[in-house]
Amino acid sequence: HPWETVTTAAMQKYPNPMNPSVVGVDVLARHIDPSGKLHSHRLLSTEWGIPSIVKSLIGTCRTKTYVQEHSVVDPVKKTMELKSSNISFTNLVSVDERLVYKPHPHNPNKTILTQEAIISVKGVSLSSYLEGLMANTISSNANKGREALEWVINRLNAEIEEFAASARGTMRSSMAAAAFVEK
Amino acid sequence: MNSVGEACTELKREYDQCFNRWFAEKFLKGESDGDPCGQLFKRYQLCVQKAIKEKDIPIEGLEFMGPSKGKTENSS
Repeated sequence: HPWETVTTAAMQKYPNPMNPSVVGVDVLARHIDPSGKLHSHRLLSTEWGIPSIVKSLIGTCRTKTYVQEHSVVDPVKKTMELKSSNISFTNLVSVDERLVYKPHPHNPNKTILTQEAIISVKGVSLSSYLEGLMANTISSNANKGREALEWVINRLNAEIEEFAASARGTMRSSMAAAAFVEK
Repeated sequence: MNSVGEACTELKREYDQCFNRWFAEKFLKGESDGDPCGQLFKRYQLCVQKAIKEKDIPIEGLEFMGPSKGKTENSS
């Protein structure tokens, strides 16, 4: 898909069926900098479906985890960069992700996404096993992210179709009404 | 999609609709002459800031800025 389509979809990524744990999205701040780039700071609220026994231990008001996201869209250079990091109440594991969307250099109908994740783990017992597990999750999430955007793009296209169809229907009925009056 | 503050969801939806339209139809096409959603954003922001304080969400180093062009000095 062309870069403009992907960027528009990325700004409206949630909700989508591939990320059911994201339950809230809020814009904290937004501005256009002197070079014309749009900066947005967003807060994502996620609910991981923690088992109720754990909930009763930690208290139900703390079952949400939050992700802070900073995105920069440059409409001239056609790049979109997303940096996100989780705000964790436990601070044991933190994940910082960086995504960059750019048009494909040879095909304007395609967009290239580069994605990297930095996993930081505190504490001696949290070993390479856990890091490996998280790395696997993150790479399968990368695919999920692509599927999620596909889903959003299809939804946006369907909405446009629906709007165009109802506009045509309205025009036809008002033309028919006008023709009727003329007679 | 809901807001972090349940009371803010409607304000969020109105702002999102305005922003998404402006983003796709103006901004990406290089016409970034001002943001027509300023008023909606301000109302939505007040609500969100309150909800974040109430829920004690630790957002560090973030200044709540309005949708203004260019950098402005703000204190949170």
